[in-house]
Amino acid sequence: VNEPSAPREASATGIYVYGVVGPDTTPTLFADARGVDAAQPVVLVAGDGIVAVTSSVPFPEFGQHALEANLQDPLWLEEKIRAHDGVLAAAIGRTTIVPFRFGAIYESDDHVREMLAERRDLVDALTRLAGKVELGVNGYFDRNRLRERVAAERAPADGEESSGRAYMQRRQLERELDTAVGELAAECSDAVHERLAAAADDARVNPLRPSSGDATREMLLNGAYLVAAGAEDPFRAALDELRARYAGDEVVLEVTGPWPPYNFAEATES
Amino acid sequence: MGTPARRVGDLYRQPDRGGPAQLADVLERVLDKGIVIAGDIQINVLDIELLTIRLRLLVASADKAREMGINWWEGDPFLRKGNQRGLEDRLKRLERSAGIDEADEQEE
Repeated sequence: VNEPSAPREASATGIYVYGVVGPDTTPTLFADARGVDAAQPVVLVAGDGIVAVTSSVPFPEFGQHALEANLQDPLWLEEKIRAHDGVLAAAIGRTTIVPFRFGAIYESDDHVREMLAERRDLVDALTRLAGKVELGVNGYFDRNRLRERVAAERAPADGEESSGRAYMQRRQLERELDTAVGELAAECSDAVHERLAAAADDARVNPLRPSSGDATREMLLNGAYLVAAGAEDPFRAALDELRARYAGDEVVLEVTGPWPPYNFAEATES
Repeated sequence: MGTPARRVGDLYRQPDRGGPAQLADVLERVLDKGIVIAGDIQINVLDIELLTIRLRLLVASADKAREMGINWWEGDPFLRKGNQRGLEDRLKRLERSAGIDEADEQEE
């Protein structure tokens, strides 16, 4: 990497850091990757035992004020976020990745090296995540159909009642149905997560994403699972087993990834 | 691991339904997960948190919206609409970069 001779503060470019990888990583892994500035190649900046995955970014686009403004631009944001993930994804299954959150930007390679020297927890993270990838599982269910099934299973008890009374009973029944459906969905979510977690090295449950108003596709599980790259069969077998088990319950389990282990990058006490 | 031509990532990159990773899955991970590093350029963490919350709400319907030809951020007054000028170009670039794990990367 040839450093520009101009003083760093006056530099028009910053260094965007995607994450760190193991010291054995070859730069060719990222030869095809397109960075957050698509014109710039991905460059590895080596520290002691860890290597930062970086690319140059123009300050007119990624400087303090520009960045704040650009964050409000959804098209810009989507493009950059997909690029951030795309760069790290190039190394999936090839080397250990500790992904950074979007927006770690430095003024120079030297500043990146200083960060690498200070953040020795990154070395621990590399060890912890060695050879691991993240799989996402998004579970959805069809609330209406589940509700219909639960309703059908419950004996339609009422005979001839006065209309006022029948109305009240119907209201009561509706409430009970809603509760039952909610409980069923929560039970299913817990059971699925528990089974998948047992087939993974680590697991996280994230908040459910709000429904898009489509009752046939309401989220039931937003899970992330850490598995060894290339050894995903037990996890996928567990998933198939669960799909078969809940096939009649209008539950859909979609797997995403493998991802860099975003959900497991930060160490937790648990 | 150590497989030929295609990368491990290529095999699963798409969710079950095909196509590039859904926006919600990528946004949640890249904006809200990963190690937090204080770079020289400081992004206000609170801003990011608010942004993430807003995006999470919006993105729930994003991919559906896109299928219907609606922009995913419409409905949030805070998020400014992308430039109408050059929108086409940006979308094309976006699609290319979203498809980065697929066929076209061989050419680079």
